[in-house]
Amino acid sequence: MSFFKRLIVNGAYYINTSDAYQKKKTFFYNLLENDTYSYKKYFDLVMITLVFISVAILIREVKSHVNDYLLVFNNIIISIIFLIEYLLRLWISSSVTQVIINQSENDDLLGKKFNLLRAFAEIVRIKFQYIRSFRAIIDLLAVIPFFHQFRLLRIFILFRVFKLFRYARSLQMFISILATKKFEFLTIMIFALIVIAISSILIYVMEANNPNSPIDTLYEAVYWSIVTISTVGYGDITAVTDAGRFVAMGVIIAGIAVLAFTTSIVVSAFTEKIDDIKVTKSIDDLEKLKNIYIICGYENISKEVAKILVGANNKVIVLDEDAQRAKNALEDGLSAFNYDPGSVESYKKLRIDIDTQVKAVLCLRESDVENVYTILTVRSIHKEVFILSLLMNEIHRKKMSFAGANEILYTKQLVGMIAREFVGQPVAFEVIHALMSEYSNIDIEEIVVTQRMLNNFVMVKELNNAKYRVVLLGIYKKNTKRFFFNPLDDSILEEGDFLLVVGNSVFIKEFEKYLYKKTIV
Amino acid sequence: MKTTGALIFGYNDYAYEIAKNIAYKYDDVRIFKLEEENLKSNKNGFKIEKYDLSDEWDELKENFDMKNCIAFCVLDDDAENIFLTLSLRSSFEDLSIIALSKNKESANKLTMAGANKVIPIVQTTAGIIGDMLNKPIVTEVLHNILYDKSDLKIAQIQVNDAECFEGKYPADIEWSRDHGIIVLSVMHKDMSSEFIYSSKAKHHIIKKDDIFIVVGYEKEIKDFEKLIGGNLCQ
Repeated sequence: MSFFKRLIVNGAYYINTSDAYQKKKTFFYNLLENDTYSYKKYFDLVMITLVFISVAILIREVKSHVNDYLLVFNNIIISIIFLIEYLLRLWISSSVTQVIINQSENDDLLGKKFNLLRAFAEIVRIKFQYIRSFRAIIDLLAVIPFFHQFRLLRIFILFRVFKLFRYARSLQMFISILATKKFEFLTIMIFALIVIAISSILIYVMEANNPNSPIDTLYEAVYWSIVTISTVGYGDITAVTDAGRFVAMGVIIAGIAVLAFTTSIVVSAFTEKIDDIKVTKSIDDLEKLKNIYIICGYENISKEVAKILVGANNKVIVLDEDAQRAKNALEDGLSAFNYDPGSVESYKKLRIDIDTQVKAVLCLRESDVENVYTILTVRSIHKEVFILSLLMNEIHRKKMSFAGANEILYTKQLVGMIAREFVGQPVAFEVIHALMSEYSNIDIEEIVVTQRMLNNFVMVKELNNAKYRVVLLGIYKKNTKRFFFNPLDDSILEEGDFLLVVGNSVFIKEFEKYLYKKTIV
Repeated sequence: MKTTGALIFGYNDYAYEIAKNIAYKYDDVRIFKLEEENLKSNKNGFKIEKYDLSDEWDELKENFDMKNCIAFCVLDDDAENIFLTLSLRSSFEDLSIIALSKNKESANKLTMAGANKVIPIVQTTAGIIGDMLNKPIVTEVLHNILYDKSDLKIAQIQVNDAECFEGKYPADIEWSRDHGIIVLSVMHKDMSSEFIYSSKAKHHIIKKDDIFIVVGYEKEIKDFEKLIGGNLCQ
């Protein structure tokens, strides 16, 4: 390998493995192309503003004098910004160094000499592939007003408006929806073009030699055909001969058909995609949520759990691979997705960051196999997230525990324990359940001890709970995970402790307010 | 001689779990099975007998003191469970019947059929999950108290001697400081239960036969039991 080739290959390896280079490239990729990147929306906003400024200056310039600084800003600064953006997009569209490395390794493997020319050809090919893409062409045309000496070229500023499609996701969605009906649009367009062509020629033949007819040229005939078929019908050019009017009637009928078909294609495109649009919107909304409960499977118990959690103002999302069950969840007003909770791909599609967004994953399918599978999937994504699972058959408990469930709920055992307590201490049982029930006035709550509270209350005796008709059942020490029942008056409160209080829910709220608001005397 | 016992109707995991949990209280725990096959198999040491959904309960009447028995209706099919509950209630007016239901609708029907207590499985499980997530510490503490997983106990104690309270109101007494226990509610003779700080309980003078629902350690509860039983007062 010649020195020059070796230099290029070594350079490619160096750049490709350089952290600083890759970091910069990733940063620009995120900024320009990654919709989930938090700063992209600010970048898009700036670019949209520049487009609007550009267009506003163009409009102003038509009849008024525009300040030279603004013209410079419009023609040079904005154009340079767009040029830089274009070059950055060209840069991140593919990796030049990777192409060189691949070529070098390929040639090495086959025992050939490194073919630098082929590598360059490949680079040119992939870069040109990007350059000729529709978006890249628009980007390039938007830079052209830079050559402001050519007045005609200023009209290219309008291409900057097309750039809005790049920055506004809703516009992108609009285009992508219409693109699904490409074939139908093409068919109707061909039909319209044929009608226009035939009717233009016919009307030209019928009317051009008639001195009373306003149609003298083929251009005027085509103009008349388009105006008529579009059902706009300005009336500036009309057919005057009987034969011409006959053609006009045919074009009008064809025009109605074209318009009706086009409208129905657009409507059906949106109707078919409406669910996808909703899902996309819901996924976008998900990104803003924190402390989410993910309910996996929407069956009997999950329905009730979802109701309880939503009732307590928690954020809940439901994942179910069964379309009907996911639909049921949607109908129940929940944020539901027809995704398999046992697939890693589902969480990627939802763009959920389990670490920062998810409070707990609830595997509530009434099937141990499904629940274990989901637990393993979630555990493979995140080691720490709290997972609660239903257990349908006791023999699967070990497997579920081994898969990584933090809490396992075996309904049959639960019923057994309830029966035990009910036959043993029926009154005590009812009291405890009344305390936990949302239907009784008496409630049991946990109040977290904050630093603000500690500024006013140091010891238990200072809490004065009896005055608020609230029973202090005990203190739960978070550090030691121990519950101290009926604490002594001189027990010291610590930040992070939980006070377990029993009382009328209104009084508990009052007591809580008092704990937070009491001012130092 | 007639015995008191627990009669569990239904041969499934619920029946087994219930039998396991209540065996400490009843000498005779029997599981009744609708079908005849495998009758001899004695699942986990409990007696298994056959029955049908007719009103022929003569064998039970002969062998059990039905007034002091408890029956669990845990059949898999809600309709059969309701039918069974009706059959038992029509034959034994004083029998305590606890029934399982799959949903709230069946729960209402079971209550109408005469069950004393209905456990709607779905709602109960969902409620416990909700509590575990919304109030994890409360749930853990109460769960430990209720299901004997900690030294703390919850007990119902009847007042046999109210003299030591000298006409006091429940809210006036420093239960925790004086007796080391916490009184949650008071149950009156008419079986109505009132929270200790409710306005009704505040105006109710402690009387004989009131029942206190208390939380505390075993020793303190026993001491308190002695006190209101009259021993210490005397």
